[in-house]
Amino acid sequence: MNEIVQFMLPELGLTVLLFVLLFVRIVGKLELAGQVCQLMNIALPILALCMWFMPAPEGAQFGGMMISSKLIVTEKLLLLVGTWIISLFSSPWLRGHRHPAEFYMLMLSTLMGIFFLLSSGDFLLFFLALELSAIPLAALCNFDLEKHVSGESAMKMIFSSALSSGILLFGISLLYGATGTLSFVQIPALLDGSPLQIMAFVMIFTGFAFKLSIVPFHFWTADVYEGAPVPVTAFLSVISKGSMAFVFVSALYTVFRPLSEIWYIAITLLAVISMTVGNLFAIRQQNLKRFLAFSSIAQVGYLLIGISGSSIDGMSSVVYFVLVYVFSNLAAFAVITLVSSATSRETIDGLKGFHASNPLLAWVLALALFSLAGIPPTAGFFGKFFLLTAGAAKWNSPVLIVAALNMVVSLYYYLRVVKAMFMDSSDDTMIRLTPNVSVQFALLLCTAGILLLGFYSPAYEWIRSLSFGI
Amino acid sequence: MGAGSLIVLIICGIAFAGGGILLSKVLAQTSTNAQKGQAYECGVPTQGRSWIQLNVGYYLFAILFLIFDVELVFLYPWAVVVREAGWMAFLEIVIFLFILFLGFLYAHKKGALKWM
Repeated sequence: MNEIVQFMLPELGLTVLLFVLLFVRIVGKLELAGQVCQLMNIALPILALCMWFMPAPEGAQFGGMMISSKLIVTEKLLLLVGTWIISLFSSPWLRGHRHPAEFYMLMLSTLMGIFFLLSSGDFLLFFLALELSAIPLAALCNFDLEKHVSGESAMKMIFSSALSSGILLFGISLLYGATGTLSFVQIPALLDGSPLQIMAFVMIFTGFAFKLSIVPFHFWTADVYEGAPVPVTAFLSVISKGSMAFVFVSALYTVFRPLSEIWYIAITLLAVISMTVGNLFAIRQQNLKRFLAFSSIAQVGYLLIGISGSSIDGMSSVVYFVLVYVFSNLAAFAVITLVSSATSRETIDGLKGFHASNPLLAWVLALALFSLAGIPPTAGFFGKFFLLTAGAAKWNSPVLIVAALNMVVSLYYYLRVVKAMFMDSSDDTMIRLTPNVSVQFALLLCTAGILLLGFYSPAYEWIRSLSFGI
Repeated sequence: MGAGSLIVLIICGIAFAGGGILLSKVLAQTSTNAQKGQAYECGVPTQGRSWIQLNVGYYLFAILFLIFDVELVFLYPWAVVVREAGWMAFLEIVIFLFILFLGFLYAHKKGALKWM
């Protein structure tokens, strides 16, 4: 019993937090619920510390349904820290909201689904966890209840995730028909590349591609990101997408290992299309959230190059990239949340003259954009550098050249925002924003992450020591 | 299993779905009588636009029904094995019911059970 408790510590911890919220919401008044939400800013790092000092033992439980390893614990920790940062900087937006407790309930149950997803050792639990992480997320998209765009975003989210889940489920059932098992451990030995298995693989791959918004399946991304409230957009683009990247790479490297020659071609092709389309569309965007949506599509393109390396470096560079991406993207979203909740401006033009009125915030946003673009002193450079190094192991130089060209293109639109903030002046000047303590702390965490991760090389070495390749 | 059988499966699937539509198009009699577009049985001609707003509040009852429906589905297999599984099983089902009860209380607190 005790062993199982330690094994499921992250999930059980989240369940306890969920129950506390539910109980407070039932018994207490609305103000009390608001205060308890402030407590979540302390409870989440405590849970992270518990996970750090009492890591789940390696191995499998529940007849191989749930697995755990040091890498999985690290991934869960990373996503928990990301959720904590979102919780810290969403406070100015939540203060005026009627349902603060529900926001946390939905966010934490999504996170719990993601945790189960990461440690699933069987396609059955995998699918359940995927649904647990997808349905509350759609409700979160609709969290600005008065806004029509928010409702539209939730509708698009639930339809696209239902479609992708359907395709994924069809793939899983074909795989079961072809191999007769759903266990991640047993499937690889039974894969021989017969047409039925390849068909199953293509379906499962498509399901993943929807969730990761890889290019031919990316149409929902920009609309959903634009309509959802900014903290939810941050959750979608960092936590949800990061977790899918983890699951995707470990599924390809373990379950579909025998088909690596097939998925290698698919992944390199999709990487090229994703990078190019994401970057070209990002150039034309005016809305900051749409702009970050297309930028994240392009980032997934770089991620795929790392995965295509199919070595230890491939996996560790993906985890490292998501680690860097959490800090740099959340820093950008934190500043945008502040601006949007104080002035309801969400366009690039709205940031004109931002540096004159809020110099410090402008620098944080500029740093985050530099890191996303991959300019050397920031951690973003090393994230991309490791991804391309992992991809270079296969000697497919055309793809690497396309990636390098794309990074130059991406520099243009990231710097366009920086130019608007620092060089352009506007008639209606921005008011001076005063972030509260928790937002300041979130910004400090992100800035420290962006700057320190770039210089602290043991982080990558440590992730590499936990990773595995084909 | 070769690639051939997969192609056969796809062709059969398309033929089954498309053939049905095609057959009914060919075999069924079609009438162009104006009466065909009229409301029938309990229908009456509509007054005003048919795009009116409905009260969506009833979805709450549907969701609450779903909670207890699923609860009941879980109780059946539990009831079959409860004698062999002993007190541990009893404790676990009590926890399970308590969790669902919390959900019910939440719905009550939000006023989902008020008559509209």
